[in-house]
Amino acid sequence: MAEVALEPQAGVPDEGPERVAGRSPWVLAWRRLRRNRIAFAALILFVVIVVSSFGAPFYADHIAHTDPFVNNVNGTTIVNGKKVPLMQQGGGVLKLGVTPIGPTWDIHHYFLGSDTQGRDVAARILYGGRSSLEIGIGSAIIASLIATILALVAGFYSGIVDALLSRLMDVIWAFPVYLLAICIATVLLTAPNGLEVGPVHVVASSLWLPTLIIGFIYVPYVYRPVRGSVLSVAEKEFVEAAVAQGASNRRLIFSEILPNVITVVIVLMPLMIATTILTEAALSFLGVGVQPPGASWGTIISDGQNLLYTRPWVAIAPGIMIVLTVLALNVLGDGIRDALDPRAKLRVEG
Amino acid sequence: MRELLRRVFKLSIPIVAIAVAAGCGGSGSSSSGGTGGGSTPAAGTPQKGGTLTILASSSFGVADPAQNYTLQQWAFLIDTHDGLVAFKRVGGTEGTQLVPDLAEQIPQPTDGGKTYTFQIRKGIKFSDGTTMKPSDFVTTFERQFTVPGPTSFYSGIVGADKCTPKNCDLSQGVVADDNAYTLTIHLTAPDPEFLDKLALPFAFVVPSTTSPKLTGNNVPPGTGPYMWQSYDPNKEAVLVRNPNFKVWNPDAQPEGYPDKIVEKYGLQVSDEVTAVENGQADVVFAGDTIPSDRLNELGTQYADQTHVNALTADWYFALNTKRPPFNNLQARQAINYAFDRKAAVQLAGGSSLAVPSCQILPPNFPGYTQYCPYTANPAANGAGPWTAPDITKAKQLVQQSGTAGASVVVNTDGPDKPFGEQMVADLNKIGYKAKLVVLAGSIQYPFLQNSKNLDKWSVGWSAWYQDYPAPSDFLNVLLGCGSIHPNSDASPNIAEFCDKGIQAKMDKALTTGVTNPDAANQLWAEVDHEVTDQAPWVNMYNPKQIDFLSKRVQGYQWSPQWYILYDQLWLQQ
Amino acid sequence: MGTFIIRRVLWTLLVMFVITVLVFLIFFETPGVDPARQIAGRNPSASALKEIRHQFGLDRPVPVRYVIMMKKLFITRDLVSYSNQGQSVVPEIVSAAPATLSLVVGAAIIWVVVAILMGVAAAMLKGTVFDPLLMMLALIGISMPVFWLGEVMNLFTQHQFHNSFVFSWVPGLGYYPFTQDPILWFKGLLIPWITLSVLYIGLYARVLRASVLEIQNEDYVRTARAKGLSERQVLVRHTLRTSMITFVSLFGLDFGALVAGGVLLTEVVFGIHGVGFLTYQSLTNLDLPVIMATVVYGAFFIVLANALVDIAYAWLDPRIRLA
Repeated sequence: MAEVALEPQAGVPDEGPERVAGRSPWVLAWRRLRRNRIAFAALILFVVIVVSSFGAPFYADHIAHTDPFVNNVNGTTIVNGKKVPLMQQGGGVLKLGVTPIGPTWDIHHYFLGSDTQGRDVAARILYGGRSSLEIGIGSAIIASLIATILALVAGFYSGIVDALLSRLMDVIWAFPVYLLAICIATVLLTAPNGLEVGPVHVVASSLWLPTLIIGFIYVPYVYRPVRGSVLSVAEKEFVEAAVAQGASNRRLIFSEILPNVITVVIVLMPLMIATTILTEAALSFLGVGVQPPGASWGTIISDGQNLLYTRPWVAIAPGIMIVLTVLALNVLGDGIRDALDPRAKLRVEG
Repeated sequence: MRELLRRVFKLSIPIVAIAVAAGCGGSGSSSSGGTGGGSTPAAGTPQKGGTLTILASSSFGVADPAQNYTLQQWAFLIDTHDGLVAFKRVGGTEGTQLVPDLAEQIPQPTDGGKTYTFQIRKGIKFSDGTTMKPSDFVTTFERQFTVPGPTSFYSGIVGADKCTPKNCDLSQGVVADDNAYTLTIHLTAPDPEFLDKLALPFAFVVPSTTSPKLTGNNVPPGTGPYMWQSYDPNKEAVLVRNPNFKVWNPDAQPEGYPDKIVEKYGLQVSDEVTAVENGQADVVFAGDTIPSDRLNELGTQYADQTHVNALTADWYFALNTKRPPFNNLQARQAINYAFDRKAAVQLAGGSSLAVPSCQILPPNFPGYTQYCPYTANPAANGAGPWTAPDITKAKQLVQQSGTAGASVVVNTDGPDKPFGEQMVADLNKIGYKAKLVVLAGSIQYPFLQNSKNLDKWSVGWSAWYQDYPAPSDFLNVLLGCGSIHPNSDASPNIAEFCDKGIQAKMDKALTTGVTNPDAANQLWAEVDHEVTDQAPWVNMYNPKQIDFLSKRVQGYQWSPQWYILYDQLWLQQ
Repeated sequence: MGTFIIRRVLWTLLVMFVITVLVFLIFFETPGVDPARQIAGRNPSASALKEIRHQFGLDRPVPVRYVIMMKKLFITRDLVSYSNQGQSVVPEIVSAAPATLSLVVGAAIIWVVVAILMGVAAAMLKGTVFDPLLMMLALIGISMPVFWLGEVMNLFTQHQFHNSFVFSWVPGLGYYPFTQDPILWFKGLLIPWITLSVLYIGLYARVLRASVLEIQNEDYVRTARAKGLSERQVLVRHTLRTSMITFVSLFGLDFGALVAGGVLLTEVVFGIHGVGFLTYQSLTNLDLPVIMATVVYGAFFIVLANALVDIAYAWLDPRIRLA
């Protein structure tokens, strides 16, 4: 669903931004971005989320003193100076079930409470954020990389290569995107040996599996705009001039076309990451993303589903983290686009 | 039978060569806890009418009674169909007694136990209006072999060995006389459990006009008080009253109370609980595991709508005895000492829902005497309960076994991964390098059973529910040498444990049991303890069953054979 | 125009073919899953398994198995599920479709109406504090995972406030067919509709606002204004109408993608037994015939939506036809 955020028809302009005259377009863009206060705030928010997520081990080891990957159903914690069990036996005559402790709002002791396995939810959310961000960023980079290479090949050699590649992309495009991801993930997770292609061997519990799957399914979404930009740049005078001067294909690609294409990719990147993070969350929620004992925001929401009515924070908190992260990336994406291509302000946005 | 109760996604093939409830000596399997128990005194007078709505997270697959092997459909088939004999339709241990159903009485076998002659009741009609006659049974039994299903139950009938899925002729083995209204069944060898097998839904009579092929989701007409109006595995099953039904033996087939019984599919279990709390539905299907965080509210706010019954079942980890490190006895014993059964009990919903166990046989079972050597401070001769793990002892054993540092793969299915994570942590604690592999529910059990996969796992999660209260159903079926079938997905001895001495004792107990059940049970108790000493499993606990009903439902009865009896529930209007 | 449509149709068929091959290859030999075992049910004998393998053509080469499955799916239409042979796949999808369509159509109505109001309001209020406020709301909508929003909605409507007057009217989760009880149908779907539409409200409001602002600066709109048309007339007759072209094409694609299975998560969270839910269940069971059928169904809707949008564009803009 969120893939529509990248719908290229209405998304990034197909013809790509022109190169701003002068030596330092990136410096200019950075200045413009810094002047955009909302975008800059989003950037800071995103950086804070990234830093705290990657600081998860520090939080777990030195602040909460807990290992959020090991069951601790017989453990205790301190609430208001008193030692209490993490799992509370049910009451009444039947004494049915155990309920994990709720939020203590004390960052040293189960800040957001415990999950059904006695693990610190706050620490898990930080660790989960690390997985979510790694997968989100990793798959966005993979998708962009593959798409850019394919687009360069297609745009440059054009003709039959271009036609074939574009048709191939159309076919992948015709797959409902989540469905494709779920299909591949289901099969790869079912295979007891994980993904085995030649020398590459990715086991099911590895973060690489969802990263590769998500990266793969979003290739067409980056491919279309990038190919458009390659084609438009290839027709520009400075490229024609370079060809007239006898420049080699390789030099052309690397020195003339690639820098322009990179602008498009950079504009797309925050939106891509936002989309891949949402996709990862959905896959993990359905149980075909990050595998135990690993955690991501999606798996924590899924864990929290069973605690929704008694300990709603387990499901709500990771959701809020997703919303904040994706929101920051979307705002940042707008800001970067405006900064890199000021005239796009009045264009149709997506 | 493994997991008849659990989600259909997880259903897999239990091999039960001989089967069935009751009558195999020993007491019934049900004990009650909480407000549950065999039956509760109903408030007010039972009244007919209304629609009973059951919620289940998923359906029971194909609906042909010749193929379906789930307690989920059986709970309905006993209300819509009848066999020659039946388990008494009441709650409590009485529910394992056999009573005559479509037969006038239970016959004594003749011909050295090889021939059974039944006098069939007259004047009973199928729900489609046709009259039930003895020859309908011939078709019913032939369908066992033409419809791909668990054929082994009736393979002792004369002529069955020549049956194929294409063609089956049992006219020599099942002889019907529609004039005298008798049915004679000839077996190739005496089978002391044959009558029990006849009380299973596989042997419930269908009209002779029924196709020899699978009927898919159309259930053939039956003779019970209800009939199938529709079954859509993605939506619902609907049972309505059979207009042609008249009571002939209330012990076997009493009249039901609700006018309509509906089972709806596809909600998350937590939402099922909410719906029943809010009175939008009446029963949470027994096979759906209620999330542990919802249990407290059931035990406090809804205690009088909640029923708990102990199950004769094991939730355990099988240890791969064919590969290192667990081909080493000391290594197997080490993890038995180290595994934190209290944590497993907590994960299962707390001490009121699970009882820790070290041995194979469950409590209240013939041959059961408490035995737990794998605990801190064990009682004399191990005859006490499990209290706490003994990590020191476990580490010592690991050192002695020389397996320290070995890589270990723990295999579970999705819903049970918390147990797997506990196992991984405890293995790591005593010096192994453990990691978890989670497989989809539908393939995990066949995967573990197939010997081709022995090099891919070391510790495998599994669970087993009794077929009938006889120790062989646990010890011989799950840990006997004869239950290992190489390269087959149906090889229930997952651990591939085979000890010649213990097997000889089991064989002796089996033969003794025919004449002297008490002596046999004593032998089984010894076998149970000896197997436990060999540690082919890490048994975790024996579970309990929760039934949650809406406020308006009365007349709860729990049969150890069929569990909750839907047709005997009645609705306060 | 005729040749254009024919070309589109041929292309559509080709895409569908490639997709079916792809799905077949992804799933045909999933390790650990033996279709014969799935078909046979519990505790089958070896001879029964062999018979089933033969009967279902599972012992034939892969291309033959593909052709058999396609024949059963499209020509004889008697493809049955592996995990439940009582279940014919085609009627199964047909009977699940109304739930999916009810969900998507209802949500689409909400998102179109609200997005137009929000987008136009933001454009009209440009320069005031309301414009960025509305757009921030839109962005928040885009940033919410739909399954999480659904869970939170369930928490409030089924539990937290279920006994208060605000949400006491919400029925239990699930789909209630329109033909049985239209009022219950509406009550049961309202929360899922809102949940599903939030993302699209955000997207479309942003698109519309930008488009309205852009078009307002176009010459012909200025001319219209100069001719003395009122602001409202300009908005409705010119600006909005032109903006609708982008809007409609976007809508076509999104609607197609949702009907095709994009609603899977929403259906799962709310227990609505539509096509998405069916897909999810068949994936959990690794039930190849059902997976195949739902994916073909989904791809068909996406390709159809793409084709319709393209044809509409070609019709609007003759230059595309020549390209």
